[in-house]
Amino acid sequence: MIEVKYFGAVAEKTKCEFEKLSFSEELSLQKLLQDLNEKYEFESLTFSVAVNQKIVPKAVDYALQTNDIVALLPPFAGG
Amino acid sequence: MSTDKRYNRQIILSEIGEEGQQKLATTKVLVIGAGGLGAAILPYLASAGVGEIGIADHDVIEISNLQRQVIYKTDAIGKSKAKEAKAMIAELNPLVKVKAISEKVSGKNAISLFEKYDIIVDATDNIAIKYLINDACLVTNKPMVYGSIFRFQGQVSVFNYQNGPTYRCLYPDENLNALNCEEAGVLGVSVGIIGMFQANEVLKMILGIGNVLSGKILVYNTLNNEQQKYDFEKSDIQTITREAFEEKYNKCEVEEVSFELVLNEMDNDEVLFLDVRNVDESPKISIKNQIQIPLMHLENEIEKLNKNQKVYVFCQSGIRSKIAFELLQKHRFKNIKSIAGGALAMKQLLKEEIKI
Repeated sequence: MIEVKYFGAVAEKTKCEFEKLSFSEELSLQKLLQDLNEKYEFESLTFSVAVNQKIVPKAVDYALQTNDIVALLPPFAGG
Repeated sequence: MSTDKRYNRQIILSEIGEEGQQKLATTKVLVIGAGGLGAAILPYLASAGVGEIGIADHDVIEISNLQRQVIYKTDAIGKSKAKEAKAMIAELNPLVKVKAISEKVSGKNAISLFEKYDIIVDATDNIAIKYLINDACLVTNKPMVYGSIFRFQGQVSVFNYQNGPTYRCLYPDENLNALNCEEAGVLGVSVGIIGMFQANEVLKMILGIGNVLSGKILVYNTLNNEQQKYDFEKSDIQTITREAFEEKYNKCEVEEVSFELVLNEMDNDEVLFLDVRNVDESPKISIKNQIQIPLMHLENEIEKLNKNQKVYVFCQSGIRSKIAFELLQKHRFKNIKSIAGGALAMKQLLKEEIKI
């Protein structure tokens, strides 16, 4: 089980601020992001991705572990 | 002393003292944007005794600003935000030196402006300017105190602090689509809270107390009061030199004109038509005030031309003439245009003219 947190405009697309996802086989971060993109159609939204409170580079290949917390952080623009 | 009395409640904090107050008095802070975030940041920096504050905002106050930009009075609608904010600070704390900058912060003025300050506060409301501020902070080596809002959530961070990570390290993809307050809506208290976090970071940096939000982004949700901090690292590819900055933000735009619009100037003695093609290229164009200098010789022979004359530059199809345009602009020619479509388009039009 992992938790995914959504912020800003990303949370508007997902219509929730977090969700818990279970996975049976090995799940890479890239695959998770791909699945979420298919499910929620983020389209032109950009966001940084954090795993366990640390922003990771886009290209990183990481195998998710149980209890990992992933966060999708889009830039905000209001002021 | 009245100054001591004014600041007594913060001077008696052991972390601040007379020494800290002196640090505040000798620091210059530039706040870019006197909107919702700026309206929260400015009075607190001024009251605390920051020595000099620059306020950069080219907008005027609108009625829809007043719900969150609480430093402005209703009868100030239509007036300059920078000037009104300056007047507010003068009343609040006359010891602070304030400069109102009503000019838009752009690639042209950012670097010379930032050089005059110690800390740059980003209180703006669009993504494009945030990249510009970030890049100008890198070139001038200044810390950038970032804050922004999306509805009931806010982000705060300090970029380029002691050579630390930057906005581009956090958001390398320059996607300019994020919604601002006007589009997304916002409650005044939300910008107030985030602005206050920014002001806090400014004061901590000046005083050298606590941990500055460098290499961390704070995300605050005002609806559930949850806050998260995320770490991010400096990426080497996200540095920018002064040359790269100029290239990115101050690249001149080539002004093109269709030949049709200049036909009536063909016999005008004050206009010069500059053909930058090689001598063996056809079709030949013969216009009264015409000179041919192939592009490769243009820089060497630029003395042949008058910088104050109106110059229409053309080539075969309108590509080389754009390069020539940039070259002439570099040499400070005052009135240049590139003819769209070049000699091919001109010849076509000249033929039609004759038929008529």
